[in-house]
Amino acid sequence: MAADIAADFAIEMIGITKRFGPLTANRDVSFAVRKGEIHALVGENGAGKTTLMNVLFGMHLPDSGQIKVNGAQVEITSPQVAIGLGLGMVHQHFKLVPSLTVAENIFLGMEIVRGGLIDSASQVAAVRALSASSGLAVDPTRVVRDLSVGSEQRVEILKVLARGARIVILDEPTAVLTPQEGRDLFRTLRGFTDQGMTVILISHHLDEVLEVSDTVTVLRDGAVIGTEPAKGLTEARLAQMMVGRPVDFGRKRRDGTAGAPVLTLTRIHARDDRGLPALMDVSLTVHAGEIVAIAGVDGNGQTELAEVVAGLRGPSYGRMNLNGRDIAGAPADIVRGAGLAHVPADRLVRGVDVQASIMSNILMGRQDSSAFSKGGMIRWGRVRAEAAALIKRFDIRTQGPDASVKSLSGGNMQKVVLAREFSQGKQFLLIDQPTRGVDIGATEGIHDEIMRRRAEGVAILLISVQLDECMKLADRLLVMFQGCLVAELDPKTVTVNEIGLHMMGASHNRKASA
Amino acid sequence: MTDIPLARPERHVPVWAQGLIGQMLALLIALAGGAVIIWLVGESPLHVYEVLLRGALGSAENVAGSLLQATPIIVCGVAACVALRGGLFNIGVEGQLYVGGFAAAWVGFTLNLPAGLHVVVGLGAGMLAGALWIILPAIMRARFNANEVVSTILMNYVAVLLTSYLTIAVFKRPGGWSETAPIAQTAYLPQLMDGSRVNLGLIIGLALALGLYLFLRYTGAGYAVSTMGSNPKFAAYGGVRVKRNIVAVLLTSGAIGGLAGGIETLGVHRRFMEGFAPGFGFDGVIAALLANGNPLGVVVAALFFGALRKGSLLMEVETGASREIITVIQALIILCVSAQILIRRRGGISGEKRWKF
Ligand SMILES: Nc1ncnc2c1ncn2[C@@H]1O[C@H](COP(=O)(O)OP(=O)(O)OP(=O)(O)O)[C@@H](O)[C@H]1O
Ligand SMILES: [Mg+2]
Repeated sequence: MAADIAADFAIEMIGITKRFGPLTANRDVSFAVRKGEIHALVGENGAGKTTLMNVLFGMHLPDSGQIKVNGAQVEITSPQVAIGLGLGMVHQHFKLVPSLTVAENIFLGMEIVRGGLIDSASQVAAVRALSASSGLAVDPTRVVRDLSVGSEQRVEILKVLARGARIVILDEPTAVLTPQEGRDLFRTLRGFTDQGMTVILISHHLDEVLEVSDTVTVLRDGAVIGTEPAKGLTEARLAQMMVGRPVDFGRKRRDGTAGAPVLTLTRIHARDDRGLPALMDVSLTVHAGEIVAIAGVDGNGQTELAEVVAGLRGPSYGRMNLNGRDIAGAPADIVRGAGLAHVPADRLVRGVDVQASIMSNILMGRQDSSAFSKGGMIRWGRVRAEAAALIKRFDIRTQGPDASVKSLSGGNMQKVVLAREFSQGKQFLLIDQPTRGVDIGATEGIHDEIMRRRAEGVAILLISVQLDECMKLADRLLVMFQGCLVAELDPKTVTVNEIGLHMMGASHNRKASA
Repeated sequence: MTDIPLARPERHVPVWAQGLIGQMLALLIALAGGAVIIWLVGESPLHVYEVLLRGALGSAENVAGSLLQATPIIVCGVAACVALRGGLFNIGVEGQLYVGGFAAAWVGFTLNLPAGLHVVVGLGAGMLAGALWIILPAIMRARFNANEVVSTILMNYVAVLLTSYLTIAVFKRPGGWSETAPIAQTAYLPQLMDGSRVNLGLIIGLALALGLYLFLRYTGAGYAVSTMGSNPKFAAYGGVRVKRNIVAVLLTSGAIGGLAGGIETLGVHRRFMEGFAPGFGFDGVIAALLANGNPLGVVVAALFFGALRKGSLLMEVETGASREIITVIQALIILCVSAQILIRRRGGISGEKRWKF
């Protein structure tokens, strides 16, 4: 009988403890996943989800505890061992080689060789076949650098499948996806489990967790709070388990009162990295004390718009004015001097230096300001005090200002960026995907911070693929499609469906044919 | 249920110590590899290393000799280190050393200036020449993103051949070897002690290394440079003028490379000779790599390489092993250090360039 039950489980982790120096990331965690189910793992930022999965995948050795795969006790000492046991993991942060093609990435380290040479044609054919059987559409010959995040995600999953994985771990796969892409992914995962595979899914989107998974395990502060069937759970109940107290979902919106114009873009045009037109005739104004949100499917010019506004990409045509200063084509330091604070979307490429300490990251942009430097010398004492204060205020889970950013969990890295940019008292905030990878509690906190800034009279331009975020925060909602602003909507009255239509270019096409 | 603990927790070693252990390991492997080669040429590795050590540190004179050899490597190492910390590779230190050495010598044997001033102008000319020598690679890198590794290497050949040409065809001392006229006494870089040519250059090198260390650690400009080195996109986002800094960093690096040449000609040779400083520039680059871009570490690595060079002289006299053994050991060091960087990149998130969010 006992053997029967054991055989039912694809994964059993028993009494796992994992410490990083003085910090206990996993505390006596027991975690079991039934064969053929989608098992969600949820918890706050820094709760230890990624660490637990890294232990399972052989990236970290636990300090104590044991692991069983398909009922057999195993010692997973490296990812190779894990792969040999039929495990596959799609990491929270991409691990693809940008300069190689999709097929080359998928077969990296296990190339199909004929006569001592890599047989590209067979690899491409194999990827096509895999892509067809799994329903994950990709072009095997494209170079990864040129892919959208959604396609990159699919490549990561194909890579895992190509290695014969029967148990697939996905660490926050939907954080970068649009809701539509997310739904497609879940349909694919359902297909996997129908074929007898097992899926472990980490996510901060509780609605999708409840929708897609069979069982949910909640971690808090490194320990398991509970494992329950998804059926019968509610978002509120899950949130309470995660945070340890009832969470006020606060989806109610508040309105701002717009003041004088702070940022004005007039007929801005710009090109992307390949020299193709990315922004066409974009005009917009953001007033003091208002939040203007830009919704749109990722890749419709939002990236370029943010870069142009932040002084990281020169417009090819048009005028820009921030706080009365002409900033078209001005470099980032000038734009920052004119009053910009900026939370970038690709924050871990651009928003932090992962090697450096939190303290050093907090300093960026202010290394020459009188607050933190004197006669060209940095006042590290003050920087440290500021960092310590921000760690407290933004609830960054860390060992202190000297800890390196790379030791932080994904969501806590995000908070470092927010802390730095929100605390500078600037009149204009450019915020791109502020809550990617951030847990629900912290998301509420960030939304509150954004609204507090607005109440202080800060002008805010918000770019987000999360529609509910746009609708909750925005005073005015603009929709971007193929480099153009195609609609201005009133977030108080508009419906999600209506926004969706504009995002797919409905109004654009109408305008074009009229 | 029996609990079989996986009792193999990863040990927690501070980051700086991890680096140090890694470099030491690289050194050991290189020395071991050198030993194998010595053994293959039919010598006893132990004996050869013993002679090497004696040659380098066996007497006060030998120590002074090692310091003399280390001096240009320290300065060249600082030059390479400046670039490295800004995320750039100046492999052209060798070339800058040559043109800097020639420019300083030219000031020495052409101009007529009072004692102290003559040295200052000579070294200044060396720095200017070094900076000019890297200006093209610097601008091409900043403007067109042209790989500075290739362009600075190419400039090396031009520098060596150009100074050769100038020495033989234009400024050759009548009747002498391929060398220029000697510099005026007023241009001599003061020596630190009698009986050895160890000179002020050593102090200059140490001061530069310390200065660079403090600059990177405590100044806003140094912060901008080192952040640019570890994540240029982050630096640009934060308002650092990356292109301007690339040019500034490379010119500074080139100027220090030129200074190394000036120190050699004004302090040691007191003229410019064809092939006067073989490989010092490259040794400097290796020292900077071995030190992982830490200026104080550069000093240690340079002292080590200086000692190797000095010790190899005696080794060649007393044993059948050739001086080229030293080159082999250095090559092995480079190999190990690069392998180590690759290994470090593989594990953990530290080496990843792209992030999902
Ligand atoms: N390599 C490491 N060195 C030191 N501390 C670490 C390391 N990796 C993780 N931690 C710490 O362990 C804790 C758990 O981190 P983990 O990445 O597992 O969180 P998470 O639940 O995945 O959070 P998120 O939702 O933000 O991704 C965090 O406090 C983190 O700072
Ligand atoms: Mg995580």
